[in-house]
Amino acid sequence: MQILRKSNWEGFEKTRKMKRVDIINAVKKSGLKGRSGSNFLTGLKWELMGKGTRYLICNADEGEPGTFKDKFILENNPSLLIEGIAIASYAMDIHSAIIYLRGEYSYLKPKLEKLIKQSEKYLKKIKLKIKIVLGAGSYLCGEETAILESIEGNRPLVRKKPPHPSQSGLHGKPTCINNVETLANIPLIILGDWNNNLQLFSLSGDLKEPGIYEIELNMPLKHIVSLGKPKNEPKAVYFGGSGGCIPYQKFRNLQVNEETISEKGGFLGARGLIIVGKDRDIVDISRTLSEFFVYESCGYCTPCREGNFRVVELLEKMENGKARKEDVKLLEQLAHHISDTSYCALGVASTTHLKCALKYFKKEFKI
Amino acid sequence: MNKLDNLISQYKEGKCELITLFEEIVNSKKYIPFEKLNYLSKKLDIPLAKLYTTASFYSLIPTAKKGKYIIRICNNLSCNLNGSESILEMLKKELKINLGETTKDGKFSLELTSCIGCCDSAPAMLINNKPYVKLDKTKVRKILRELK
Repeated sequence: MQILRKSNWEGFEKTRKMKRVDIINAVKKSGLKGRSGSNFLTGLKWELMGKGTRYLICNADEGEPGTFKDKFILENNPSLLIEGIAIASYAMDIHSAIIYLRGEYSYLKPKLEKLIKQSEKYLKKIKLKIKIVLGAGSYLCGEETAILESIEGNRPLVRKKPPHPSQSGLHGKPTCINNVETLANIPLIILGDWNNNLQLFSLSGDLKEPGIYEIELNMPLKHIVSLGKPKNEPKAVYFGGSGGCIPYQKFRNLQVNEETISEKGGFLGARGLIIVGKDRDIVDISRTLSEFFVYESCGYCTPCREGNFRVVELLEKMENGKARKEDVKLLEQLAHHISDTSYCALGVASTTHLKCALKYFKKEFKI
Repeated sequence: MNKLDNLISQYKEGKCELITLFEEIVNSKKYIPFEKLNYLSKKLDIPLAKLYTTASFYSLIPTAKKGKYIIRICNNLSCNLNGSESILEMLKKELKINLGETTKDGKFSLELTSCIGCCDSAPAMLINNKPYVKLDKTKVRKILRELK
């Protein structure tokens, strides 16, 4: 696996001989995009940073259902991440970096802290302090501005943009927020012989061999799914909880990348693929996912808070055979209203799974 | 100086976050008692309501009393497909409590959690932040026995 390569601070030492602007250009030229699913050009994000005191935040709040690739890096090659943070900080002239680690991964904290300590001789060279702030269980805190609120000690609601964090982020200072996988790739880019298309996929669900697989983008869906060895004929592939789903049979030859999945109504996101077997009930799955969004909704805006609650209610009615004819239509309308009118991206994406299910598996919603 | 007071002075110097103070209290008490919130409010000069609204947002920061062991079972899609519901039913039966409740002896609390990133070894649960994976009924019984 490319992501398991060791750099042993060679990438960092190499950048120390480079001008900051050249590092940023190298990252820009590499084509690396945010691996959290945002797909924003990382080098450009770095370039857009405002002046003065600034911060780097490593987003290790991996909460998307079916996604565990950042945990894989934190467990198997965390030194690459620390080096990536150091290079990024040096390139942007940052002296204070924070790893925002999700509370559910708190057991990874001691090892990471030890590693930061062991890396001190390198961090000292660029006067960089890295600290870990532990989250405490909130899906919303995967959103970059909610992280800022959380660190600042506020109820972590999503901020309005603009201003973007690159201009006014943590404590009002320019802040760059990058995902674990994004930062871990930085030393490899600097060392060269790096393939941007090799990305981590989390495979889980009805599989005999679920796990993390490094897969080249554009690989046909059937090849990706076959790596996890399906227990039986797959019916659908879900892209996390918020990325919707596509029917497996119909799209088994589809070359998987952000664009192809978006064309089908889904969202590849952080590449957490949940494979659902042929005997599964799509309405039941929709309810499970919608319950997740009810649980994680921050409650700030009505469409997400009330809408998803009503969605669960309707799906329960369908499962209990108590739905009326017009309920399917109502469900469809709700799914669209919620995504059209929610305040933040998480609310907007909360019904993608439902819209896809209604698009491809509508028969199952009939009463 | 105890650990919390130490963290409070660090917070005042801008060296530690509010969420870390909450976590310290939860580490020792398993939840944030009202008195502790009040204590923080006075020490930090932050309105109690603001502290409560912040703390109560997080699922890992309970604001009501919990058992010694908080069992958080993941019921998200991958765990659900791999039988988390039967594990949950079994836990309810073994512990004789429902979701959100604590056993009479104050030992176990039972809750659901969002995805904990153990989807490749589903079904999974956290007990006081420690993950337990690839659960089946025998394994769960053994875990409970060891904790009892």
